[in-house]
Amino acid sequence: MAAVGKDGRIIPWALVTPALAFTLVFFVLPFVAMVAVSLTTVQGGGPTFDGYAQFFQNPSYRQALVNSLQVTAIVTAVSILLAYPFAWILAEMVPPQWQRLALMLAVLPFWTSYVVRSYSWLLVLSQNGVVNQALTGSGLLAEPLPMANTRFATVTGFVHFFVMLLTLTIFANLKQLSPSYRKAAADLGAGPIRTFLYVILPLTLPGIMVGAFLTFVLAIGDYITPQILGGNNELLMPQLIMMQIGRRGDFPLASSLAIILMVVVTIAYLACARWLKIERA
Amino acid sequence: MKTLVKTHARMLAAAAGVLSLVAAGNATAQELNALIWCDHADPALLQPFEEANSVKVNVKEFEGTGAGLAIVEQSQPGDWDVMVIDSVDIPRGVEKGLFEPLPEDKLPFPDLFPEVKLDNYTVVDGKRYGVTEKFGYNTIGYNNTKVDPADMQSMAALTGDKYKGRLAIYDYYLPVIGMAALAAGKKTSELTEADLPAIRDVLMKMKANAKLVGEVVASQTALATGEVDILVGGGEWVTAGLAKENPALDFSIPQEGAVLWSQSLAMFKDSKNKDLALKFIQYIMSPEGQARLATSSCYWGMPASTKAALTDDQKKVLRFDEQPGFLARAQPYPAPDADLDKKMQDLWTEMLQAQ
Amino acid sequence: MRATLRIVSILYAGAIYAFIFLPVVVLVLFSLQATSFPIPPFTGPSLRWYGAVLADARLTSALVNSLVVAVLSSLAATVLGFLAAWGFARFHLPGSAFLRGLITLPLTVSYLIIGMGLLVMFNWAGVPKSLLAAGIGHVVINLPLCFAIIYSQMGDHQVNIERAARDLGAGEGTVLVLITVPVMAPALFAAFFLSMTFSWDEFVIAFLLTRFDTTLPVEIWNLLRSGLNPKTNAVGSLVFAFSIAMVLLFELVAFRRRRA
Repeated sequence: MAAVGKDGRIIPWALVTPALAFTLVFFVLPFVAMVAVSLTTVQGGGPTFDGYAQFFQNPSYRQALVNSLQVTAIVTAVSILLAYPFAWILAEMVPPQWQRLALMLAVLPFWTSYVVRSYSWLLVLSQNGVVNQALTGSGLLAEPLPMANTRFATVTGFVHFFVMLLTLTIFANLKQLSPSYRKAAADLGAGPIRTFLYVILPLTLPGIMVGAFLTFVLAIGDYITPQILGGNNELLMPQLIMMQIGRRGDFPLASSLAIILMVVVTIAYLACARWLKIERA
Repeated sequence: MKTLVKTHARMLAAAAGVLSLVAAGNATAQELNALIWCDHADPALLQPFEEANSVKVNVKEFEGTGAGLAIVEQSQPGDWDVMVIDSVDIPRGVEKGLFEPLPEDKLPFPDLFPEVKLDNYTVVDGKRYGVTEKFGYNTIGYNNTKVDPADMQSMAALTGDKYKGRLAIYDYYLPVIGMAALAAGKKTSELTEADLPAIRDVLMKMKANAKLVGEVVASQTALATGEVDILVGGGEWVTAGLAKENPALDFSIPQEGAVLWSQSLAMFKDSKNKDLALKFIQYIMSPEGQARLATSSCYWGMPASTKAALTDDQKKVLRFDEQPGFLARAQPYPAPDADLDKKMQDLWTEMLQAQ
Repeated sequence: MRATLRIVSILYAGAIYAFIFLPVVVLVLFSLQATSFPIPPFTGPSLRWYGAVLADARLTSALVNSLVVAVLSSLAATVLGFLAAWGFARFHLPGSAFLRGLITLPLTVSYLIIGMGLLVMFNWAGVPKSLLAAGIGHVVINLPLCFAIIYSQMGDHQVNIERAARDLGAGEGTVLVLITVPVMAPALFAAFFLSMTFSWDEFVIAFLLTRFDTTLPVEIWNLLRSGLNPKTNAVGSLVFAFSIAMVLLFELVAFRRRRA
């Protein structure tokens, strides 16, 4: 055992094989099985592209993907816009010794169960919830606003989580910037706004893109948030997929829809990866 | 190297071992595996049976017959002992050869409301495969301080402009499609594909008036908290359980009629615990079991047995004495074949997506 | 200018904190509700719903299940991730980049799809739904994470220490136990802890892959579906308190390590 040196090929493979084998058996193989199932029908038989055909032929199925993309795009954009200034304030305005506490505080609420978090938003946003009661009670509004059970509620639930996530990634990014960049910009005569726009922002862009991609992947695949908060006034892809499983036990159709969703995420990944590469060059 | 792999394998094996131990749980006690709806998960219902027979009842909730049957098909024979199923869907299970005939003499059939025995569904080829345990109506549930109760006597109120933005629709396609069929002047037991366009019209008008489409709890909550004033598909199963909290909640059976929902218990042919399964069914059908099931924490409903040991207050809330009149105007749950079922679900999806 | 920026910053950060804390405050407040609806007006304080949660055997056993699944699946993910990271960091393997990509690939796939794939495969193989199946699903989502964290922390200096140890005659096993693991401990701990967090809070995989015994998020979902009451608030608040205790413990351990 001790004799295996640099050229020994056994130890390295023994180290990496368990993880690779696990990934193959419990990630790649299930995916293959899912592709195979997507080519059958509930009645059995196949191979057929029936599941995929149903998606492309049925406008309400297609609409689910459109809704998902819209909601995810809105969530990603709003989360970045809210999180960036917040992360900047934490990194620049908060004294370093308090930064850790400030971050901890920002992350604290996410230690509740995420199923419960969506449910809490329903309580907050409902017709007689705290927000509406506060607004009508203080005379700011005559009538309560319909907020719960809407796309607005779904987006709010998502944004809540992703503001935290993006604040963390952007904060880390800002802290990694060397102060000398700023000094150099100042020496060259740039004001704080120009320094931010032309130096800080471009340098933090990769971090934003990573956060944005993470947001996209996690949000587009989430079932709980739209199911609890959206009031079924529209369906997103995960809801449509779960509906096939939960109501009909139609695994072929559910698999087809899941694969379509995965293809969309992959396209987003490729787009992001390319974009990031260009940025670095 | 070998040691490394071995240690590794041993650790994994240990982890897997502990996990499967946990998964196995109380494998030593006798167990009954029941495929159920959420009302059967109430400890107040299950515990007395578990304690009396020193058994453990494992429950798995499902939504909709299609999903329930899919679960059975993915399981090994003998995995399941009893199942709760829409009475009208019993023939679907019998067709697949899943169910065991029930001994009529050992169950209290004479006590049942005659209208809910539903022999044309629960009896196949002269053998009884299901016993109705609970029923109620999918109709109009409302808050009687917020709407004009006179309007609730017609389904036209659901499609008109007066209550725009004040409706919730119960998110289950069969009963609400049944209601839409009634509103379109059709019989729920005779629906065909040709009826779908008319049903679609009604559904779309309801959707335009609706603030949300919600499952059991979301729709209950919306009505109870004042988010909406009317629940399409609601009935005693929404209003009765909340009567204590909000006595203004009420339901009506409009002139067009209402959809009768009815759940049955069936026993699996491959069950390894048939005696225990029968005992469970007998318990549920006993006056005490019936009362507990009727007032379960998930949703209330009328007990199928007239002998259910309900208090006078509970009976009043369930409108026990008005049942003969209600039953006379109710029509059965739609029971589409697989093809029509798929089309109805797609229609439902279309309704959900409509803006 | 500077003063204005300060004031705007304070206002903005305050608003974001308010947004972040709003649902949690509402959750905890209405867990103390005395009546059956967790909406205003507040009728408490009452511990009635906490009592109901603790008396609910399904919830308490789900909590234990969640803990067991979280600990064991995170342990498995950390061990697998560590070994692979070690292998890839120290040796030049053919196709290394591709293989590393393969291990991290699950990171880019939605939990829903991972869960569905496993469900379909287990169905096909006749494997019944169980906590073990859900645990495997949690290893699938956490292995790439553990691998990435540990791999990124395996620097050259560590390879040098290992080489020094080997030059001094230490066997591979000794190097692993006495050098690599202690040096990597912070990364291992971080990977394990993060995995625990994800497993503890994961819903859809556990929902699809368990049957009778299930995890807490799934049981909370069942609770949500079976009636709106402050019990959900109470269980949510308990989970919150429990998680914070865990974080504090983590901070304490990490802090002590840093001091030592």
